[in-house]
Amino acid sequence: MRRFDAPKILLALGIVALLAAVACGGEDAATRAASGRVAIALNWKPEPEFGGLYEAQRSDAFTKRGLQVEITGGPGAPVVQMVEAGKVEFGVAAADEVLLARDRGTDIVAVFATYQTNPQGIMVHASRGLRSLPEVFAAGGTLAAEPGVAYLKFFEKHFDLAKMKIVPYGFSIAPFLNDNTMAQQVFVTAEPIAARRQGADPQVFLIAESGFNPYAAVVITTGARARDESRGVADFVAALREGWRGYLDDPTQANAAMGVLNKEMDGETFRLAAEAQKPLIEDAFAKQHGIGAMSLERWTQLGLQLRELGLIDRPAQPDACFVDAGTPAATR
Amino acid sequence: MSAAHRRLLEAVLPPAATFVLTTAAAEFGIRAAGISPLLLPTPSAVVRAALQHASTLLPALAMTAQAVVIGLSMSIAVGLLVAIALSTSRWVERAFYPYAIFFQIVPIVAIAPLLVIWFGYGMRAVVAAAFIVSVFPVIANSLAGLLSVDPALRDLFRLYGASRAATLWKLSLPWALPNVLTGLRIAAGLAVIGAIVGEFVGGGGLGVVVLEAMRQQRTDLVFAAVLHAAALGLALFAAVNATSHFALRRWHSQEKDP
Repeated sequence: MRRFDAPKILLALGIVALLAAVACGGEDAATRAASGRVAIALNWKPEPEFGGLYEAQRSDAFTKRGLQVEITGGPGAPVVQMVEAGKVEFGVAAADEVLLARDRGTDIVAVFATYQTNPQGIMVHASRGLRSLPEVFAAGGTLAAEPGVAYLKFFEKHFDLAKMKIVPYGFSIAPFLNDNTMAQQVFVTAEPIAARRQGADPQVFLIAESGFNPYAAVVITTGARARDESRGVADFVAALREGWRGYLDDPTQANAAMGVLNKEMDGETFRLAAEAQKPLIEDAFAKQHGIGAMSLERWTQLGLQLRELGLIDRPAQPDACFVDAGTPAATR
Repeated sequence: MSAAHRRLLEAVLPPAATFVLTTAAAEFGIRAAGISPLLLPTPSAVVRAALQHASTLLPALAMTAQAVVIGLSMSIAVGLLVAIALSTSRWVERAFYPYAIFFQIVPIVAIAPLLVIWFGYGMRAVVAAAFIVSVFPVIANSLAGLLSVDPALRDLFRLYGASRAATLWKLSLPWALPNVLTGLRIAAGLAVIGAIVGEFVGGGGLGVVVLEAMRQQRTDLVFAAVLHAAALGLALFAAVNATSHFALRRWHSQEKDP
């Protein structure tokens, strides 16, 4: 008899778990909304790539707009899913993730793009004397990269990777430091600085140089929120822009605040990283249209590239991917 | 209907009914609740993903299976030898058994990145991960079996002047066999988990398919890959059960047909 009771129990447990998950999903956002708070989920530890956010929180950029911002998430957080499920109002993701999520039938939109130039690159040992990404791939060796990232598909399509052994990146630079023929993915603001401080002589080739340049550290929300609460979203974006202005001018205090939360990164590394990322955030386009502004042209190009790589199943609708939430000079 | 057919039907029908009911409940429940496919895909979407990506999943399954079989074989060999060594004397057991427990409590996820540094990327790191998590149940269960030999039978062997080797081969090991097989059943499932974790850092197999699918927000493919891993664990479990049945049906009551 025991065997016939098992399915009932399993079914009951499954339904309970499902109901609990659904119930929790709605509650979080509702209780926050009542008290005027919003939450943003990050996809990494507090580092200079979120400098403007922490500066906006430290200064009164958020509070003077009546916003109380709770920062959550971290490495490995399923940011897109959290935003979609309403666990958080905002999230930080990459532009390609926005297109993927939309292709999978969710209504995720971008409202602010921190990096105009994607800060990801491939790091090699400078002693190898390589001068470009094609040379890196022709030289062979091991390449550590996150499995499934879009740029890896782009490399496979446009370069000859036959000589490369591609392995998962485990977010440690130890294998790189131990192996002279190793190449790995990096955030130019993170791993190269760490590698240099550990005595290596790294050289970085930006992925953007290969022609694949998705916006990075993109602030996302749901299309419904961008529509129905456009005022709140515009306030959030304006505060963030103000925070970034402050951070680019003087990152000292926000760095100190992040340093308390992220003890693995020392003050000097924070300073160097904040300096290194400046040109990627405030380029000619951002100077003209405002920090974080996005263009239809860039979203269109990315949509076509992801379609070409087979990462999205239907043609993208680039104009639906992002919302110009109060960008000073309209770019659409 | 012959008796054999009836028995087969009785064995297959209950789990099949469970499968159909839970799958149908999941399919309609997820649809009715309007849950996003990004959070929880319907079973039909998972099956579609499995068929659509079969050319990715099947080679990955073969790769993971290879690592699991090698890792599990090493666990059986090493685990049995260690258990035999530990069972030889109380002093040896006291001196080394606490350290064997290390393999059980080692957090494989935490040390997985080290495996890559020790063994390099690829199959060796994956096999090491599968071995580390699966060796302890073999040691612990085999040792328990070897130490539970009926003292009266042990005395009998001594009375007849049997050598230590003969006692081990003819008494202790056969006596411990049910325990050894219990250890193997546990080890088989753990070896699959270990291999997948190993692949997360060392590369290859279903582990990388899971990572890729997560990255590309193909939750249906994540589930399809997980199902393949589960099927692998189930196949190994069935293999151990079959071995158990053939090895023990003449001796042990639990394997005799009812």
